[in-house]
Amino acid sequence: MTATLEQIKSEDTYQINGKTFTSRLLVGTGKYATNELMTQCLEASGTQIVTVALRRVNLDNKGEKTLLDFIDPKKYTLLPNTAGCYSAEEAIRVAHLARATGISDFVKLEVLYDEKTLLPDPIATLEATKTLVKEGFTVMTYTSDDPVMAQKLEQAGAHAVMPAGSPIGSGQGVLNPNNIRIILEKLKCPILIDAGVGSASDVAVAMELGVVAVLLNTAIAHAKDPLKMAHAMRHATEAGRLSYLAGRIPKKLYAQASTPIKDF
Amino acid sequence: MKLLINGETREFPEGMSLEEVIKQLGVRKETVVAEVNRQIIHNEKRADCRLSEGDQVELIQFVGGG
Repeated sequence: MTATLEQIKSEDTYQINGKTFTSRLLVGTGKYATNELMTQCLEASGTQIVTVALRRVNLDNKGEKTLLDFIDPKKYTLLPNTAGCYSAEEAIRVAHLARATGISDFVKLEVLYDEKTLLPDPIATLEATKTLVKEGFTVMTYTSDDPVMAQKLEQAGAHAVMPAGSPIGSGQGVLNPNNIRIILEKLKCPILIDAGVGSASDVAVAMELGVVAVLLNTAIAHAKDPLKMAHAMRHATEAGRLSYLAGRIPKKLYAQASTPIKDF
Repeated sequence: MKLLINGETREFPEGMSLEEVIKQLGVRKETVVAEVNRQIIHNEKRADCRLSEGDQVELIQFVGGG
């Protein structure tokens, strides 16, 4: 019981498809005002896994700096996403393109259904998960917080299941902690909260539920001061995790004195 | 020959290879993934990949995303 904070943190690892990580905060690389700011925020967040996207090269900006000039793939595990894909076929294509870079065989699989909610298409998501797992990808699948769907994804071989706390970019936090609790009870694979967190307290709530990690982007990138928020998110992730490991006291209806009640 | 590159029609000399097209466009080859008619062409195969009229070329790279 005398372990230092550093000892506790270094021993508290988790694995995704056999790869070990200590940081429980995954950070996106989108929406930052500048790439320099993004680099500073990633550093401050302590993250080890960063999400990236794939898009067409701008033919009119020859020789411009690319994302990889700002992110060292030796330092971070790149988690390419399939954001913006609305069919299993499209998502599988993007995953193939990502792997063809030779940098990562991880994929954050998201197959969306509609633009307003950015909710996933469960049927296409399941289909794409099955295919990409068979093809040897490390598949981390974005899903809604439906416990049945989460189980189906695990059965399909997903290496991590990532329910949204609330809609992508909405900053509403974890809206249905009970569903997350059920998912945690039913599944054995790593569960991450992906999307919806807005503040450090949202992250702490998610971590206290017992998820292995939280993935976020907008909450840092669009904070008034992204760098401060990156620090805050790191601390919140660690605080939430430690709180989960420590085990909270049960909630009670009535007061219980903290000071011994004795005769003076 | 006319090629459709990232959705834009561009004119190139007949029989150019994918590698030459990427070089002529000034795109950094080491950070780009290329598809020709929806088939991924890996870096080491680009010099052998001769393009022809109407080929659809996609040049893709990592960008920021969540």
